Amino acid sequence: MKKCLFTFLIICKSFVLATDLDSGNTIPDLQLRLLDGDKASIHELVKDGPLMIDFWATWCKPCKKVMKFLDQYHQDYADRGFKVLMINQDTPRSLGKVKSYIRSQNHQFIVGLDPNQKIAQKLNGMVMPTLILVDKGGEIKWRHQGYIPGDEVEIEKQIKSLIDNYSFDS
Amino acid sequence: MKKLFIFLSVLSLLIASDLDFNGALNTNYGDNKEFYYYTENRIDLNIFYKDFQGWVQYEYAHPPEIGFSINKIRKFRMEYAFEDFLVKVGDIYEFWGRGLVLNQFDDQITNYDNGLHGLYVGYSSGPLSLSHINGKANIWNLGNDLRIPAFKNKHNLTGLQAQYDWSMFSIGVTQLITEEDHQLQFGNQFADVHHTLNGIYSSMILGNADFFFEYVDKRATDNSISFAPVEKNGHGLYSNLNLYLGSWGLSTEYKRYAFDKAHSDLTADDYGNRIAFQTMPTLGKEHNSTLLGRVSHNYNFNDERGIQLELNGSILDKYAVSTQYSHLSRNENWQSLSQLEWAENPLESYLPSSDPSALPYWENYQEISGYTLGDNLFFKLGRGNNKQVFKTMRYFDGIQQDMSVEDNSFWDYDTTYDSTWAAYDIIIEIVDSTYMEIFDTTFSDPYNVEAKMWQELKSFTIPVELNYTFDNGYSLGIGFQYQERQKKNISKGNSIYYSVADSGWALINPENPDSSFYLEESQFAMDTIKINTQYNRMLYVTLSKAPKWSFTITHDWTNVFDGQATDDPFYNPLEALVYGDLKYFTGERDPRDPPPFIQKRWVSAELAYNLTSSQRISIMYGSIQGGLFCSNGICRVIAPFSDGIKVSYSAIF
Repeated sequence: MKKCLFTFLIICKSFVLATDLDSGNTIPDLQLRLLDGDKASIHELVKDGPLMIDFWATWCKPCKKVMKFLDQYHQDYADRGFKVLMINQDTPRSLGKVKSYIRSQNHQFIVGLDPNQKIAQKLNGMVMPTLILVDKGGEIKWRHQGYIPGDEVEIEKQIKSLIDNYSFDS
Repeated sequence: MKKLFIFLSVLSLLIASDLDFNGALNTNYGDNKEFYYYTENRIDLNIFYKDFQGWVQYEYAHPPEIGFSINKIRKFRMEYAFEDFLVKVGDIYEFWGRGLVLNQFDDQITNYDNGLHGLYVGYSSGPLSLSHINGKANIWNLGNDLRIPAFKNKHNLTGLQAQYDWSMFSIGVTQLITEEDHQLQFGNQFADVHHTLNGIYSSMILGNADFFFEYVDKRATDNSISFAPVEKNGHGLYSNLNLYLGSWGLSTEYKRYAFDKAHSDLTADDYGNRIAFQTMPTLGKEHNSTLLGRVSHNYNFNDERGIQLELNGSILDKYAVSTQYSHLSRNENWQSLSQLEWAENPLESYLPSSDPSALPYWENYQEISGYTLGDNLFFKLGRGNNKQVFKTMRYFDGIQQDMSVEDNSFWDYDTTYDSTWAAYDIIIEIVDSTYMEIFDTTFSDPYNVEAKMWQELKSFTIPVELNYTFDNGYSLGIGFQYQERQKKNISKGNSIYYSVADSGWALINPENPDSSFYLEESQFAMDTIKINTQYNRMLYVTLSKAPKWSFTITHDWTNVFDGQATDDPFYNPLEALVYGDLKYFTGERDPRDPPPFIQKRWVSAELAYNLTSSQRISIMYGSIQGGLFCSNGICRVIAPFSDGIKVSYSAIF
């Protein structure tokens, strides 16, 4: 009974939090190493416009499915300052193949490396794929876990909505 | 319960305050008819305030799916950044180079946690970065019970890392020193071991190529017996060269890990070798196909070398293609001196061996995937081969001579007369006898002896996946995986056993040393009848509606078990429904006596529903076949799940 109550309370609390706080928090200014060897910070990346962060790995099947669409959005909305940051979580076991895979797919988005999940743990991206949409000011506007084929419609809708609001505000 | 309310109150305060924070909740519950029950609740909370960052993880698990029951704050860490410094206190997880010296992570699926409770101090200014870690770690390893850890190794650890980055070149040096209390296999005995690891790594990134190299030298001293410390030394080497041309990328890797060696598997009593903080590249493909995951190689971080090549590219700028090959082996060949004694012979070249006595492993995998039909159809088609020598039971190849011994010993008598008494006409005869031990040894002509027996595993797998997305948001997915597996004991040669009496290998035909045999014997059997090939198949059908729900039915079946039978002892309505067995629903079947057509089959159904974009609940009902599960190069055997229900809920906020 105690166990059930515990679980129930936790779920209720988190339901309330997740419903209320899907957006609103500011993303922390985390530093990360990029695939090309450079270093970057998340606040630097959101200077010019909105940023979509996605956590992925070379062995994650749904991550690869959604990548194609995210790369397309990165290119389609680049003129509005929008960027996609793909944070890779491959461990040393497959880390050596990340660049080879990205180059082979001609992906244009930014790729960061997070081999022992330091960034993922701080942004709750341990479940892959996890998408976090951040506006120009660093405020988290939308979060999404998992990928069901067809989710790309909702993803693009959220990006467009943010960009349109941003254009209207400015 | 008090702890929970305190925790929830803190959460509420955070919401009301100006602090930035985020969190995640994972709740898992499972119960089935095999008394395999678990309930896990885990909350992660990150707090950010100016230059401070905090992380706390609370877990209530009674019991968890694997590990010990817990109801407390499991992990926490505070971080403070000022100027060029970063200080962390609490649970530390760091990663240097490619992990030959240090790679820390907390993998709850395999219950592998090599985190450190202690302090981290980092300094980074321009191209130079320095870091220091210090603290204690309790690392648990599983024993015979797949759900309860059995062995604990306690570490008191300190480490240093320095890295210097030029524009395209980096170099780093590392040192890790740890005092380990290592739990032995039996009893509650601990060995006192001192480990020192010194490493160096470097990387270079060019336009069309990049290169990484890491080397570690490891020395261990067993101080359990203070007056006679025992040393064990080893080294590890890893390199990775990637080449790019257009939309093609070739990744090449080489490894040589030599921290310990033994003919048989190492146990908890073999210590002083690779430590739990060293989690290195395996040079094997990390698969996302269930059947390929089940035939994964059990990598030997103490004694293994190998190469891996992987070519990634695209065809017609839309289809991704990938082909991979790896070849691994031990660092030495092992020769049987007798039935139980083995001697190693180091490999002469730097490359892995194909000789069965070096326990080689080969893997190759090809895959093509992509979108077609206006990006509505996703397809993936793969094929993979695995082959490995799992163990050698005897392995001798050499020249032998038979020795014949003829005993020609004799007694030598020497009679003398004592002259002392001659004057008295008394003659005393003295007989001096000596045993003359003479053996005549003759050798037969030398002849070749081959006495080999090893176990070989082979598999061939085809994973296929199709997924069509309709314009109204619905999608239909079909996946099919097919696998053929063979597990054979192979014997060959002209001898099958070592004669202790004759101190040599006994020929099967002593009259004719050239008389030899070759025998392959399958290790799959059903009711004492040998089955040559195990056929595994998995079919799954998914119907989903983005962005809300997806429903999947999975059907997994085989023709023969590998080892102990894991027959599903129950017959559930889902299985009856999938097989269209109306007798079940009219009460003509006994749920505890499944009919033959459902044996060796596992059926499950899962509904996943997104409550919001950041909350997901899934409910699974049915049976899941147990088997090998591998992650991060660490494998564990998962117990079968028979006729049960699993519920999981996850949320991020």
